[in-house]
Amino acid sequence: MLLCGLMLSLCANASAPEDAATARELVMSLGRPAPARTPFAEARFMKMLDRPLVVSGQLAWLGDDRLERQVEHPNREVSTIADGEVTQQREGREPRHFSLARAPQLQILLDSFVALLGGDSVRLEQSFDVQHSADHAGHWTLALTPRDAKLARTVSRIEIDGRGNQPRCLRMQEADGDLAVDLLGELAAKMPATPTRDALQALCQSD
Amino acid sequence: MRRGGQVLLLVAWLATLAGLGALVAQRLRISTDLRSFMPAPATPDQRLLMEQVGEGPGSRLLLLAIAGKPGAPLAELSRQLAAALRKDSHYTQVLNGSFDIGALDARLLPYRYLLSPTLDSERMDAGFLRDQLQQRLEDLSSPAASLLKPLLPRDPTLEVLKLAERWTPPKSPEIRDGVWFSAQDEALLLVQTQAPGFDPDAQAIAIDGIQRAFDRLPDHAGATLTLSGPGYFSVVVNAQTRGQAEWIGRVSTVGFILLLLLAYRSVGSLLLSALPIASAALAGIAVLVLLFPQVHGITLAFGFTLLGVAQEYPIRVLSHRRAGENALQSVRDLWPLLLTAIASACIAYLAFYASGVNGLRQLAVFTITGLLVAGFSTRYLLPHLLPVRVRDVADMRWLIAARRLVDALPRPRWVPLAAASATVSMLAFAQGPFWQNDLAALTPLPTDLLQRDARLREALGAPDVRYLLILEADSEQGVLALSERLQPAVDGWIARRAVDAVELPSRYLPSEAVQRARQQRLPDRATLEQALAETQQGMPFQSGLFTPFVDDVQQARQLPPLTPARFAMSPLGQRLAAMLVRRGDRWLGLGTLSGVHDVAALQQWAQASGGAVRVLDLKGAAESLVVDYRTRILHALLAAALLLVMTITLALRSLRRAWHVLAPMTLATFLVLAVERVAGVEISLFHLVALILAAGLGLHYALFFERDTGDAAEQRRTLHATLVCVLSALLVFGMLAWSSIPVLRAIGLTVSLGVAFHFCLSILMAPHARQD
Repeated sequence: MLLCGLMLSLCANASAPEDAATARELVMSLGRPAPARTPFAEARFMKMLDRPLVVSGQLAWLGDDRLERQVEHPNREVSTIADGEVTQQREGREPRHFSLARAPQLQILLDSFVALLGGDSVRLEQSFDVQHSADHAGHWTLALTPRDAKLARTVSRIEIDGRGNQPRCLRMQEADGDLAVDLLGELAAKMPATPTRDALQALCQSD
Repeated sequence: MRRGGQVLLLVAWLATLAGLGALVAQRLRISTDLRSFMPAPATPDQRLLMEQVGEGPGSRLLLLAIAGKPGAPLAELSRQLAAALRKDSHYTQVLNGSFDIGALDARLLPYRYLLSPTLDSERMDAGFLRDQLQQRLEDLSSPAASLLKPLLPRDPTLEVLKLAERWTPPKSPEIRDGVWFSAQDEALLLVQTQAPGFDPDAQAIAIDGIQRAFDRLPDHAGATLTLSGPGYFSVVVNAQTRGQAEWIGRVSTVGFILLLLLAYRSVGSLLLSALPIASAALAGIAVLVLLFPQVHGITLAFGFTLLGVAQEYPIRVLSHRRAGENALQSVRDLWPLLLTAIASACIAYLAFYASGVNGLRQLAVFTITGLLVAGFSTRYLLPHLLPVRVRDVADMRWLIAARRLVDALPRPRWVPLAAASATVSMLAFAQGPFWQNDLAALTPLPTDLLQRDARLREALGAPDVRYLLILEADSEQGVLALSERLQPAVDGWIARRAVDAVELPSRYLPSEAVQRARQQRLPDRATLEQALAETQQGMPFQSGLFTPFVDDVQQARQLPPLTPARFAMSPLGQRLAAMLVRRGDRWLGLGTLSGVHDVAALQQWAQASGGAVRVLDLKGAAESLVVDYRTRILHALLAAALLLVMTITLALRSLRRAWHVLAPMTLATFLVLAVERVAGVEISLFHLVALILAAGLGLHYALFFERDTGDAAEQRRTLHATLVCVLSALLVFGMLAWSSIPVLRAIGLTVSLGVAFHFCLSILMAPHARQD
C-alpha cells in the first residue's frame, strides 16, 4: 500500500511537468496575429433571471491589452477595453466608462483571451493556475483558476474547450453560481433559442 | 547689602521666578492658528476672507499625488489609500476618480430619490420603468454586469450611480486603470480634511494620518506620496520656520554668551545679568496667560526677539561699573537715562497694541511687561547682588584707543544733510513697488512647492483658491433655492468658457421645496407594484426581485426632507456644511470656481443680481486687508513718534539735546528703508516690525552717546557698553539675515542694517566729546 502510494505520487509528479509542457504547446499553437476576430454567441445564466440572456456578435483582439466586444443581437452595443478602462457604447445613449478594476469578469476575460490569441503561455500561467486535459479525438479543455484571490472571489473558474488549434467554447463560472457560456467561431451560429446549461455543455463537447 | 541679605534676595528672586514658571507651565495654552496673527477684518469681504482662509472648502482641500511606479500598481495604491482614508473620520471626502458607489451614506440611501434629478423630468410609471429595466437587461449581458448586479434589486434605475456621477468634480483628470492620473503619470487624489486649513497642528495630524495610512499599504515600497494644498503649506511653513529659528537661536545664544564672557570676564556677572531677562520673559508670559485665553506661538517668537532690547539694561550696568564703586551707585547714575530708554521703547511697542490685531496686541503686552520688569529689576534688584570688586572697563588699553579714534572722527555739520539727501534720492530712484501687499509673502513658500500646487490643482480641476462665488439669502433653504435658480446661468458661463467649472451648494443637497416636489412624484406602493408587474411581463426578471426597490421608494415618500444638519452626519454632508456659512441672521452659500478665465464677465453678471450673488476675490480682499493693516500700523507709529519726541524732550529738558538723540535715530531708520528699497526689497509688515525694533535699539545708542558726563573714563564706558550691545545685536540678527526663510531674513536684515546705521550715525552726530 505504502509503496503503491509512493509510486502514485511519483507518477503524478512525473506527469505534471509533461502536462504543463503540452498545455504550453497547445497555447502556443493557438496564437495568431492581431487583429484577430471571431464570432461569438453568449448565454448568461443568472440567479435573478428566469431564463438565460443570449447575445451574439464579434469578439476582437486588437493587439496588446485591447479587446473589443461587438454585440449585434438583440441590441447593438460596443464595449472596448483599453488602458485599463472599459467604454460601453449603445445606440442613442451616452457612452459609459468604468474601470477594468471594477469589472473582474472582464479582467479575467482579458487575461485569458489575450493570452490565448497571443499564444502567450507565460502570461496565461501568470494569471491562472492552468490544468489541461485532452482526448484522442483532438478535443482538449483548459481549466483556468485565477491566481489573484480577489478575482477568484468573483470568477471561480474558466473552462475553454477546443479542437486542434481552434477554441470553441468559453465557460465562465462565477462564484455566486451564475454562469456565462460563450460559443466561439463556427459554433457561435449553433446557439439554441432557449439554451440550457446541459445543452450547451453537450454542444461544446460535440464534434 | 550684607552677604546674608544678598543670599536671601537671590533666593526670593529665584523663588518668584519659579512661581511664575509654575503658573506659566500650568496655564499656558499656545495657539497655532495663523489667523490671529493676521489683521482684523473690516469689510464683510475681509471677514469672509478670514473665515475662508481657515475654514472654507478650499482651505481644507489636500491634493495628493502617488508616483514612482508603473500605472497599474499606482492605481491599486490609489484605491487602497482612498479606501483606508474613507474609514477615517479626519477626512470628510476622499476622491480618486474611481466610481464611488458608496458616496451616499448607507443610512441615507432611501433619500436618493429626493437628491437625484431623475424625478424632475420622469415619473416612475410603467413606461419609464420598462425603459430602465430593458437597459438593465442589456447591462446584465454586457461587461458591466458584475458592476451592477449587486445594485439591481434595490436600485434598478441606478440613482446611486447618477448621484456618484453628480458628486465627482465637474472637471476631472484623465482616468487610467480606473483612477485619476496626471500627465506626469502620477495617481491623483483629493482629500477634504475635517480640520480647518490654517490650524497647522490639526493639519499636521491629518497629514500625518495620510502618510501613515500610505505607509501601511502592503505594496507601497518604491512609490512616493506627495501632498499639496493650504493645510500642507501651513504645516511646512511652521516646521521650517520653527526649525531654522531654533537652530539660529542656539548658535547665536552660544555666541552671545562667549561675547559677554569676553567683555566682562566674570561668570558670576554673566549669570546674574541673565536674571532680569529671565524675569522679563516669565513675567511677560504670565501676564499674557492671565489676560488672554490662548497665547499665539508667533507672539512668543517675536516677543523673545524684541526682548533683546532688555538685554541692554544689565549690559549698560556692567559696563558702567567703576572700580571700587558700589553697583547701586553706578545704577543710580545711569537710571534717568535708562528710564528714558525704557519708557521710549514701551511707547514704541504701544504701536503694536493699537494695530488691532490680536497677535500683535499680545506682542505689545508681552514686550511692555517684559521691558518694565527687566528695567526695574535691573535698577532695584540686580545691583544688590553684583560682586563688589570689579574691573573698570575704562582702563582697558584697546578701549582707550578706540575712544580716541571715535573722538578723532571728523563730525562735519553736513553729515545729517548728506545722509538725508542720500536717503531721499535712493527712495526716489528705487525700482518696483514700494509695499509688499501680497499676504502670501507673509507666509512664504518655496517656489517649487507653489509650482507643484499649481500643476496638481490644474490637473485635478481643484477649485481656484482665489475666487469664490458668494450667494446670500435669509436662510439655509433660501441659499439652496438661490443656488438651484443660479444653475442654468452658471451652465451658461461654463458653455461660454468664462470659467471651467463651478460647484454650487445645491449640487450636494437640493432645497426642501425641490425635495418635496420630487417626493410628490413618487408613486404609492400599489401603483408602483402594478407598474412593475406590467413592466416585467415578457422580461426574464424573477418575480419579487425588486421588493427592496419598492420598499425604498415607499420609505422615500415618508421621509422628512434632508436638511443640511441631518446630512452633516455623513462625510458628504460635512462637505456641504463647509459651503454654508451663517452670518448673523443671514446665510451665505460659498460656490467654488475652477479655472476662471473671464473674471470681469462673472463680476458684471453678479452685479446684475442685485447683491444676492457676488464674486469674491480673496486675493483682492487679502491685499486690501494688508493695506488697511499697514495704514493702522503707520498711524500708530506716527502717534508713537510724537509721544517719543515729547518723552525725550521732557526727559532731557532741552529741544537741542532731543534733536541730537532723535535725529540720528530717524535718519538711520529711513536710511535702512532706502537701502532695502534700492536693493529691490519690497517692504512688508515684517520689515516694519523690524524697523521698530531697530529704532528701539538705536534710541539707546543715541541717548548714551549724547550724554555729556564731562568724564573721559565714563565716555569710554559708554563706548564699551554700546559696542557690546551692537555686537550682540549684530550677532543675533545677522544670523537671522542668513536664513533662507523670507520672514526671518526680513527681520534679520532690517535689524542688522538698522543697528549698524544707528550706531554710525549716533557716533557721527553726537555732540563732540571734550578731550581729556
